Amino acid sequence: MPEMEQPKKVADRYLKRELLGQGTYGVVFKATDTKTEETVAIKKIRLGKQKEGVNITALREIKMLKELKHPHIILLIDAFPHKENLHLVFEFMETDLEAVIRDSNIFLSPGDIKSYLLMTLKGLAYCHEKWVLHRDMKPNNLLIGPDGQLKLADFGLARIFGSPGRKFTHQVFARWYRAPELLFGAKQYGAAVDVWAAGCIFAELLLRRPFLQGNSDIDQLSKIFAAFGTPKADQWPDVKKLPDYVEYQFIPAPSLRSLFPAVSEDALDLLSKMFTYDPKARISVKKALEHRFFTSAPAPTDPAKLPKPLRKQEGKASHDRHDAIRVVSPPRKLRRLMPERGKLDCVKSHVDKDQQAPMSLDFTILAERPPNRPTITSADRSHLKRKLDLEFQ
Amino acid sequence: MADFQTSTQRAKWILTPQKLAERYKVANQKAVQMLEKCGTTQVEVDASGSLTYPTEKVDAGDQADKKLKPLSVDEERFMRAFYEAKVQEVCSAFNFPHKIQATALQYFKRFYLQWSVMQHHPKEIMLTCVYASCKIEENHVSAEEIGKGIKQDHHIILKYEMAVLQSLEFDLIVYAPYRAMGGFVSDMEEFVQARGDEIQKLENLLKAATAEADKVMLTDAPLLFPPGQLALAALRIANGALGVVDFDRYLENIVSQPNYEHTASELTKFLDDIESLVKNYKYPSEKDMKHINRKLKSCLGHSSSHDDSKKREKRSKHKSHRSSNDTPNGGAPVG
Ligand SMILES: Nc1ncnc2c1ncn2[C@@H]1O[C@H](COP(=O)(O)OP(=O)(O)O)[C@@H](O)[C@H]1O
Ligand SMILES: [Mg+2]
Repeated sequence: MPEMEQPKKVADRYLKRELLGQGTYGVVFKATDTKTEETVAIKKIRLGKQKEGVNITALREIKMLKELKHPHIILLIDAFPHKENLHLVFEFMETDLEAVIRDSNIFLSPGDIKSYLLMTLKGLAYCHEKWVLHRDMKPNNLLIGPDGQLKLADFGLARIFGSPGRKFTHQVFARWYRAPELLFGAKQYGAAVDVWAAGCIFAELLLRRPFLQGNSDIDQLSKIFAAFGTPKADQWPDVKKLPDYVEYQFIPAPSLRSLFPAVSEDALDLLSKMFTYDPKARISVKKALEHRFFTSAPAPTDPAKLPKPLRKQEGKASHDRHDAIRVVSPPRKLRRLMPERGKLDCVKSHVDKDQQAPMSLDFTILAERPPNRPTITSADRSHLKRKLDLEFQ
Repeated sequence: MADFQTSTQRAKWILTPQKLAERYKVANQKAVQMLEKCGTTQVEVDASGSLTYPTEKVDAGDQADKKLKPLSVDEERFMRAFYEAKVQEVCSAFNFPHKIQATALQYFKRFYLQWSVMQHHPKEIMLTCVYASCKIEENHVSAEEIGKGIKQDHHIILKYEMAVLQSLEFDLIVYAPYRAMGGFVSDMEEFVQARGDEIQKLENLLKAATAEADKVMLTDAPLLFPPGQLALAALRIANGALGVVDFDRYLENIVSQPNYEHTASELTKFLDDIESLVKNYKYPSEKDMKHINRKLKSCLGHSSSHDDSKKREKRSKHKSHRSSNDTPNGGAPVG
C-alpha cells in the first residue's frame, strides 16, 4: 500500500511508522505522537459494515484499560475512530516475554526470572484487585518496555468477575495456558484461572520452552496429568461436578523436582502452589507475591538490567498468523478416556534425561523454528461470541 | 470493576450542579447558533464516527427560517426526560437487568452533556445507548434483535454506535447504585443483627429501594453524586415508607468507619439533595411534548409546512455533506 511507504499523519497527530505486529483483529504499527514526540504503538481495527457494529474485543480492551492504570499494565493513551478504523494508541513496548524466552542468545539468571515473574504477578494482582480477569495470559501478551518494565497487554478477553453465579465461557486462554477447570468446561470460575496461566509462564521461564504443550484440549489435560498426576478426590473434590468432566486413567504424580531439577526449593514450592488442582485451594496472586520466593536470595534483577533480545524477531507478524492452529473442543462426556501412552512417556523420558531437551519430538527437529503456539483462533473467537450470547442471565 | 475511587466516572463524569447547568446551557447555545447560521441543527453521523455539520446558508435573513424556533434549555430537559423514561421502558420490555438500564441511562445522560437534542435525535441515541450498554455489560443482544423487538430500524443503532462511544470518550464502565444497595443491605443485616422476620423486612426494603433507585436514575443525580450516595438516598426514601431501620443511626455508623470521607451532616445533606431532585423531577405532559416535538422536528429539518422549503432544505443538506467533509467544524464538540 502506498500509504505505508511515506510517513503519514493519522488524525493530524500520529506519524505512522513500521508495522509491529499482526493481531487477531487488527494490525499494530509504530508511530510518533507529534504532540509529545513520544513513540507509541497504534492498534488499528477495521470498522465498517459489520453486522454487530464496533468489534466487541476492541471494546473490552478499551473499557478495561481506561480504568486500569498501573506500572505493570499497558497504558492506553487514546482511542479514536479515523477513516473507517478504530485506533487504539498504546505506550510503545520494545519486545515481549515470548521473544525473551525464545532467544537462545539470552541467558536468564534466577534473579532475571524472579524479576519477570514479579512484574507479571504485580500487574495481575492489580487486575484481580479491580475484579478483572485477564483470561489471555501468555508470554506473547506480556510486553516489555524500553526500560525493561513488563506490562500486561491484550485485554481483548478480559472480564469483570465477582458477581456470584455469573457464568462465563470456558473457551479462553491459548490452550497451553488453560487451567484444568476450564478444560473440564467450568463456566463459573475466578481469578485462579489467571494464576494457573501465570504458573505456566513461570515454568516456561525456567524451562525456556512452553511447559504443557497439548495439541488438543484433551491432550492438554493429558499433559497436565502427566506432569502432576491425575487429581485425587481429596485434592479436588469438585472436579466431578464440572460439565465436561471425564475420568482419566490414574497416573501417579512424578515429583515436581524431576520436572524442574535445577530450581530452588522456594521456586518449586511456589510453582506447586500455582499449579494446585483445586481452584479454591490454588494460591491467589496476592499470596503468591508474599511467597518467600520473592524475598529469599537472589534478589529480583533490576528491570533496567534485564537481558533483552537485540531486536524484535523479524517476521514475527507472519509467525503469529501461522500459529493460529485450530483448537478442537473435546466431544462432550467421553467416558473413561485414556491418555495416549506414547506421549506421556515422551514427556517423562525427556524430562528425566535432560532439562534442555524440548518436550516433544516436533521441536527437536524444528529446533530453530518457534513452536506452534496455539492462540485463540478466529474459530474460537466466534465460538466465544456465540457463548457470550448465551450467557444472558 | 469494584473500584469507584479510581474510576473514570469519579474523575470525569461527576459534576458540580453549576458545571452541569453550564454544560446544558453551552450545548443548547451551540445548537441555537447553528440554527441561526445554518437553518438546521441536524449533525449527520456515519458508522465510522465521522460527523458532518450543516453549513452556513448563503441567503441570510430568509423569512421562512425566521419561523424556526430553537428549543430552550428547559425544553431540552423535557425531551431528554421523555426518552430517558423510554430507556427504562425498552429495558423492561426486554427484561434486561437493572444494571443494563442504568448503564444505558448514564450513557444517554453523558452523551447530552456534549450535544443538544437538536443535533442528534434522542430516540436514536436512546436506542444506541441501550445497545451499547448490553454490549459493554456482556449481555450481548444483536442490534437486529433490539430493532425487531421494538420495531425500529436497527441500522440506525449501528450508524450511531461509534459517535456515541466517542462522545462518551470511550469511558464505558459505569457504576450504578444497585450493587452498592445490595452491599448496604447486607451490611444493615449485620448492623441490626437481623434474624428471621427482620431479614425478610430488609429484603423488602431492598426491593422497594430498587424501585426508588430507578427514579433516582431519571434525575440529574447520577451526574452529580457517586453511586454509593445514590444507593443510600434510595434506601433512605424506601425506609421512610417502610421504617425498617433507624436510618440516622445507620448513617452515623457509616461515617464512623475509618477513612470515610464525609461527616454525618455532609452525608445527610447529599442525601437530602438527591431526594429533592427526585421530588422535583418533572416529566413532560403530552401537551408539552407535542409542542416540543414539533419544534425539534423543524430544527432537525424533518418537517416543513410546504414543498418549496422542503426542496430547499434537501438541497442545502446535500451541499453541507460535501463541503463539511473537508472541514469538519461547525462549532460543536468533536469528542
Ligand atoms: N504497545 C505495543 N508496543 C509494541 N508492540 C505491540 C504493542 N501492542 C501490541 N504489539 C504487537 O502487536 C501484537 C498484537 O497485539 P495484541 O494486543 O496482543 O493483539 P491480539 O489480541 O490481536 O493478540 C503483539 O503480539 C505485539 O507484537
Ligand atoms: Mg496477543
